[in-house]
Amino acid sequence: MIPLEHFLVVSAVLFSLGVYGVLVRRNAVLILMSVELMLNAASINMVAFAAYTSPERFIGIIFAIFIIIVAAAEVGLALGIILRLFRNRRTANVDEVDQLKW
Amino acid sequence: MTVTEVIFYFIAAAAILGGLGVVVSRNVVHAALSLVFTLLAVAALFILLASEFLALVQVLVYAGGVAVLLLFALVLTRARDMNQTLDNNQKPLAAIAGLALMGVLIAMTVLTTWPRAADEPTLVDFNALGDALFRSWVVPFEVASLVLLVALVGAIVLAGPEEGEE
Amino acid sequence: MGMEQAWLIPAIPAATAAVLILVGKYLPRKGDWLSVLAISASFVIFLFVLKDLADALASGGEFEPGRSGTDWVAFADFKLRIGFAFDQLAAVMVTVVSFISLMVQVYSLGYMKGDSRYGWYFAVQSLFAASMLTLVLADNLLLLYFAWEGVGICSYLLIGHYHEKQSAAEAAKKAFVTTRLGDVGLLIGTILLWRSVGTFDLSEIFAAVRAGEVDQAYLTASVILLLLGAMGKSAQFPFHVWLPDAMEGPTPVSALIHAATMVVAGVYLVARTMPLFEAADGTLVIVTVVGLITTFLSATMGLVMTDIKKVVAYSTLNSLGLMFVALGSGSVTVAMLYVFTHAFFKALLFLASGSVYHATDELEITQMGGLARRMPLTATVFTLGAMAMAGLPPLSGFWNKDELLLTVFDNQNVVVFLLVLVSVVITALYMTRLVLLVFAGEPRNKQIYEHAHEPVPAMKWTTVLLGVLTVFAGFVVFDQIGRLMGFPGGFGKFVFSEEGEAFRVNAGVTASSIVLVLAGIGGGFYFWWGPALRAQAAAQAIPRLYDLVRNKFYIDDAYQWVINRVVLVVAAAVSWYDRAVVNDTGVNGPADLTRFGGFLLKFHETGRMPNYALVMTAGIVVLAVIAFLVGT
Repeated sequence: MIPLEHFLVVSAVLFSLGVYGVLVRRNAVLILMSVELMLNAASINMVAFAAYTSPERFIGIIFAIFIIIVAAAEVGLALGIILRLFRNRRTANVDEVDQLKW
Repeated sequence: MTVTEVIFYFIAAAAILGGLGVVVSRNVVHAALSLVFTLLAVAALFILLASEFLALVQVLVYAGGVAVLLLFALVLTRARDMNQTLDNNQKPLAAIAGLALMGVLIAMTVLTTWPRAADEPTLVDFNALGDALFRSWVVPFEVASLVLLVALVGAIVLAGPEEGEE
Repeated sequence: MGMEQAWLIPAIPAATAAVLILVGKYLPRKGDWLSVLAISASFVIFLFVLKDLADALASGGEFEPGRSGTDWVAFADFKLRIGFAFDQLAAVMVTVVSFISLMVQVYSLGYMKGDSRYGWYFAVQSLFAASMLTLVLADNLLLLYFAWEGVGICSYLLIGHYHEKQSAAEAAKKAFVTTRLGDVGLLIGTILLWRSVGTFDLSEIFAAVRAGEVDQAYLTASVILLLLGAMGKSAQFPFHVWLPDAMEGPTPVSALIHAATMVVAGVYLVARTMPLFEAADGTLVIVTVVGLITTFLSATMGLVMTDIKKVVAYSTLNSLGLMFVALGSGSVTVAMLYVFTHAFFKALLFLASGSVYHATDELEITQMGGLARRMPLTATVFTLGAMAMAGLPPLSGFWNKDELLLTVFDNQNVVVFLLVLVSVVITALYMTRLVLLVFAGEPRNKQIYEHAHEPVPAMKWTTVLLGVLTVFAGFVVFDQIGRLMGFPGGFGKFVFSEEGEAFRVNAGVTASSIVLVLAGIGGGFYFWWGPALRAQAAAQAIPRLYDLVRNKFYIDDAYQWVINRVVLVVAAAVSWYDRAVVNDTGVNGPADLTRFGGFLLKFHETGRMPNYALVMTAGIVVLAVIAFLVGT
């Protein structure tokens, strides 16, 4: 009998770690990984709620499926952008792409 | 303490450790592998939540596809050869922000009474899931496939060879 | 055509002035004939109005001044009126103003010929005539004040006619600023009276004061402020400094404005408001004192100055001072008589000086001498004017000097009387000096002597006409002459404040005045006949006193010191405040602050995505906390 809150706490921790990663990492690919972390945390949240609160309608599970689909698409495109960026500027560090500044 | 609970704590710890590895690791490949580890742990959590289908999809798509894609990107952008610090100078503030966020979320979770329908997760009927997916949710499903198509085309355009390049 | 049409008298020159200012330069001869025509028309209309006045007086009964005019602004209990009242006092002033204006404008036809601003000169002359006529005909203090200002402006414009010359521009500015100080007094006095009585109308104010409705202290303050205005315009001490410098203007201007008309505006003001002065205790004493100081100051300075026009200017100051003494003795009649006769002989003296200047191009009397042989007619009329000024019988000047001494003898204490007697001697002295140094003896500068000639007809005949009037105008004091002209009696019966006075003679006073005049003339001959050796010896005997008087008692220097050390310092401080506090800090300050704020803020656009993400996260956390707290 695992209480619902346990799953939610795990989700919260993973999400916070993902946020930390987005804020701290310099390499664009690593930032992308942190974003994946956040998406997974959201999925856990969805599925936990679906399982515990309304299992007969399983909306959370459907949602989690869609999250995975969209995350995959997003990663593909994001990596394309990073490759293009690397080709133009020889760097994958987001710190060094600061042309739109004062 | 039942077996389920022990297993749960074990898997939860693994997921969190993996997450830590992603954001803290000094080596980019180590970070990528930690991510794979986390993804698998999350799949295990799905099983604990009685949705095997989802766990399968997670392993196939995420751990199998996305993680590999990320590793490819790391190779193509010469991430390991670039010898530099992996973290920027926001570390202290980011740590505070992250911790604050975690605190708020956990506080919300713990302090709210959630509506309860079942004491433990019930198994999802596989047929019913498929039925729902292709009947009630068919439009989002088709749109999702369009999204994938667009992403495919976009990725090719973005990452493909430029004019005059081989 | 009666007293109700009196408003035409100032209106015609006013309309002419407008026409000349707007289209003057397109008219043939720049419109000088139009100006002369207008003032002649005014004079003629005035004669008709005067006849109507005389008839009204002759028919007996209570005399009411003829009213005309229109309400300009009227609402609730506030009323501004352009109103004219024609009574005897106004009649005397209009005679003087319109006639002398006419003489001066005709004289200017010759004197100003070839001037580059010929048309503008006549436009301003018309404007001046209009303003001055409005001033003397106004029935309420506000209209009087407007006309007062108008006269001041015209004076400024005419003194500064040759404004390419630095000294002329400075003199015009000095005249305007000095009279302005007095004008402030007039304005505040007017407002004070309006606040206590509720109206600007003079007859209503007099009625209220007679009924005792105005508090004594308040009335005294108002009257003194009005007096300040009169002192400014009439160049009494300490405002006298502008009049000698005003000689920078063309000579006809000096004759009109600074001898016969504008400077007596102050005298007119005091005469018109005499009921107020009589009701406010002590004010008449101030008038007398001011007049005496002015008289002695100017008489002593006239004794040592060497510019012909300046000497005549100082003699004007002398006369104005004596007019104020007459007013201080409570006699409007004598003051008005003085104004009347003084207009003729002073205008004559100025115009004749102008003839001399026009002929010789020289103003310093040290360079003149013996001009009588080359300009006999001018010399004759000039001498007539000078002797009238000195008070030699039977010229017009004698009659008003006599009346003045009589009234001072009756109404003032012995000291004042003796001082006036002394002034008679000094006046005779310096007028004789002037005549002798300019026209008699041997010429001191051959070139100037050779160049001298009689003036053109326009200038010549106006001076002759004024000369004739100088001789005969004094006889209006006699009742028989007055009745012959259609008036109820002589001048004293015609113009009065409380009751008409017939002409009287006090043998002792008259005799002593004649003796003193002759003594003065004799003294003039003694000192300045021939090579004037005795005068030079006298000057060398008292060097420090001589220098003091020659430097105008250093009053001008004192004023300049005050301006430099006080006025300009305050002005610099205010200017600093305006620049540094109001402009730089108040107006530019917020703009600069905003710009600086923008400058500081722009640094948060670092261009780095992680920075933006951090701020977003912080915002989300804060919002979440708030939502969480609000929700629970």
